[in-house]
Amino acid sequence: MVEKHKFLVYRNSGNGKSHYDKFEFPVSKGMSILDALFYIQDYFDSTLAFRYACRGAICGSCGMTIDKVPLLACRTQVSTVKTSKKPAKLPEFKFSDHPEWDPETEILIEPLPNMSVLKDLVVDMEPFWKFYREIEPYFARKWNDVAPESLQSTGQMKTIERLVYCILCGLCWACPVSKENPNYLGPAQLAKADRFIRDSRISDDRQESILSRVLQDDAVPACEKFFVCNRVCPKRVMPGTAIKDIRNNWINE
Amino acid sequence: MRVEEFDVLIVGAGLSGLRAGLELSKKWNIAVISKVYPVRSHSGAAQGGINAALSNLEEGKGDTPKAHAFDTVKGSDYLADQDVVMFMCEEAPKIVVEFESMGAPFSRLDSGLIAQRPFGGAGFPRTCYAGDRTGHALLHTLNEQSIHNGLNFFNEYFLVDLFKADRRIAGLIALDIAKGELVSFRAPYVILATGGFGRIFKFSTNAVINTGDGVGAAFRAGIPMQDVEFVQFHPTTLFGTNILITEGARGEGGYLFNNKNERFMEKTAPKAMELAPRDIVARSIETEIIEERGFENSYVHLDLTHLGAERIKERLPGIREISMSFAGIDPIEEPIPVQPGQHYSMGGIGTKFDGEYGETDLSGLYTIGECSCLSVHGANRLGGNSLLETAVFGRHIGRKLLKKGLPNKSSLSEIQIAEERAIDNIERLFKSWNENTGKKPVEIRNEMGETLNRNVGVYRTDKDLKKATTTLLRLQKEFLNTQVSTEDRSFNYGLIRTLELRSMLDIAEATAYASLWRKESRGAHFRIDHPTRNDDKYLVHTMIYSVKDELEIKTKPVKLGIFEIKERKY
Ligand SMILES: Cc1cc2nc3c(=O)[nH]c(=O)nc-3n(C[C@H](O)[C@H](O)[C@H](O)COP(=O)(O)OP(=O)(O)OC[C@H]3O[C@@H](n4cnc5c(N)ncnc54)[C@H](O)[C@@H]3O)c2cc1C
Ligand code: SF4
Ligand code: FES
Repeated sequence: MVEKHKFLVYRNSGNGKSHYDKFEFPVSKGMSILDALFYIQDYFDSTLAFRYACRGAICGSCGMTIDKVPLLACRTQVSTVKTSKKPAKLPEFKFSDHPEWDPETEILIEPLPNMSVLKDLVVDMEPFWKFYREIEPYFARKWNDVAPESLQSTGQMKTIERLVYCILCGLCWACPVSKENPNYLGPAQLAKADRFIRDSRISDDRQESILSRVLQDDAVPACEKFFVCNRVCPKRVMPGTAIKDIRNNWINE
Repeated sequence: MRVEEFDVLIVGAGLSGLRAGLELSKKWNIAVISKVYPVRSHSGAAQGGINAALSNLEEGKGDTPKAHAFDTVKGSDYLADQDVVMFMCEEAPKIVVEFESMGAPFSRLDSGLIAQRPFGGAGFPRTCYAGDRTGHALLHTLNEQSIHNGLNFFNEYFLVDLFKADRRIAGLIALDIAKGELVSFRAPYVILATGGFGRIFKFSTNAVINTGDGVGAAFRAGIPMQDVEFVQFHPTTLFGTNILITEGARGEGGYLFNNKNERFMEKTAPKAMELAPRDIVARSIETEIIEERGFENSYVHLDLTHLGAERIKERLPGIREISMSFAGIDPIEEPIPVQPGQHYSMGGIGTKFDGEYGETDLSGLYTIGECSCLSVHGANRLGGNSLLETAVFGRHIGRKLLKKGLPNKSSLSEIQIAEERAIDNIERLFKSWNENTGKKPVEIRNEMGETLNRNVGVYRTDKDLKKATTTLLRLQKEFLNTQVSTEDRSFNYGLIRTLELRSMLDIAEATAYASLWRKESRGAHFRIDHPTRNDDKYLVHTMIYSVKDELEIKTKPVKLGIFEIKERKY
């Protein structure tokens, strides 16, 4: 079953000027948006730039905006993108003026919002990593390789499990606060902070150090409870809920 | 030309590269070079777990490193180097405990100790896990420690070629993907940790980036490929994307059906049925497809519907999510379409007989992780042993080099000549690709993948393998005239993927060649025309060299002496 699909793809050679390219080609069964981009790169324009690695929704490379929704390209099927349910109440993401886009028939592919574009669909993730490093996401125990390991109950483990699952894809930076405030640490970063603060094995020092960073103005208090992050996160990390938890547990004592 | 200088260069930021980096950065000035951000590495996709004889469970009380080593050697169909296996299994409990001390979020037992589960081919439950995303948990843990320890990264830099001076490694040329410029990295030690290369096959559970660039670069520098005919095929990968559907789905009671609605495992493994060893299930499925009892000539059904919604939701949520997201199928309602696919490469960069673990024949060049062949997996890897391998040998190599100290560097003038020559070669290649008029890389890549799947797959015969070598030789020729734009080199992934293809073709050719040479069946290598193991002739490692553009085969003895050679029977 071969069906032709139309794609409208954001292009930017990194000099600030952008435009959109149209592509139309037959789509095979099970083709993802990532596959479609490879198809364009392989057959039409080898310079089309986008990031990828696992194609299985686990590495976090392929975040982009598809039909105005931040999604993982590898997990989004071409055949169902028009019919699948969209997350509610998303802000409008604007990248540049684009030629008429027919939302009924054309699949619109744009970079992740609130990050600067380096080329085509490749964005500058450096601020994302910088803020990630800033929350000091690590244990600082002395490495030990002699059994027994330190203990943790299954219940304690469960409290961090959902937070551990973050793949650092950056979709949650679609947050309106990230857009307005370039110093805002960001949902993923704060969720990661919560993962460490909550871990029963963390030392008091480390916990305090992480907390002192995330309680500053440009972090937890800056969250305006839009919960866009919860709705776009592909891994159900619920960063907004993590931020709320930090607030409840450590501010409104 | 931009030049960077370090004591050690590590290529690869998966588990093996990061673990080596964490050790070496304690004392030396090192750089970790990776074509993707560290957390994007394929180690993050591992699901099942990591093996260690920790004996945390009551049923595991009798477990020992030696028992672990025995299972590994038996699983390898006796081709693994026994001293290396023994070392790995003795290090295993230490490495897992160390991961925990770094903060790794392992699943736990009621006792609070790290949880362990049974895995195929193991005598005891010794696989430690973090839910069904162990690789993700471990990779993020090492990345966190790298931040803590200020590791020096060059992310989105692509290793193109190595260069030598004064008969030792002197550095490498990398493409800065963002800027599009070639950079010379000089160092007296280079460690290759570039991961698996399943993408030489059309159907593979591996990431798109698993293309064997390190194996290719080493091969072009004169280092042989070792045991590359041994390729593990996983029986159940999702039709379409070939994402792994874990054994757990069959473990929970899933059935395999052909298009006649028969549970065809009855024919090949009437007792074990769907839970027979991986290679047997993979071959049975392949038979059904070849003999036209598959669906669309490509897959069979993995049916979970009889398990009921509750059980599927509780025990196999990951599988359900994958099926729904990537195939649009809810396993509660419908069977999952599955087919065998390449899963793990036992072979890789050849190592020196009687050298340090991971040492190659080129002085100063080392290799660890899936790209290497040390050989701990022999002809067949046991699940849970490869994550283990990455960290054990990452740490080990770091320690060994620190102890050994820095060697005398090659002379500066020799280094300069070598790096300039290397850059000239690459520039010439880029220029020709830009001007060529031949096939597009995708056409060559697709035909390579199809050829390997069809002729160097689960079942192998003399006739098919000969066909494959002929086709691959032609593709190599066609590749010389392939065309891709190399003018604008910034984030030029079309160019990157062509560079990847350059290495993949070499590996594909060597794989077909070695498979043709090995006229026996051992582990994952199954020859219909030579269905039994032949220890008299083939209890050796294969070493494929490139001599004047022709492949040449040599052998290397297997290190035996700890466990007696027996038939591999389960
Ligand atoms: C789906 C799946 C599930 C698995 N499950 C398990 C399991 O449960 N248990 C188990 O033990 N094993 C499992 N494995 C195998 C195991 O995950 C891998 O063998 C292991 O993680 C490989 O680690 P590595 O460090 O060698 O390489 P990788 O993690 O693949 O890292 C390779 C690194 O090299 C870099 N690189 C590659 N080429 C270049 C270049 N040209 N220039 C610069 N950098 C480069 C990449 O950027 C990357 O950082 C699984 C494998 C797959 C595919
Ligand atoms: S919290 Fe969710 S959306 Fe944000 S980076 Fe992590 S996985 Fe991506
Ligand atoms: S390619 Fe890894 S998440 Fe999409």
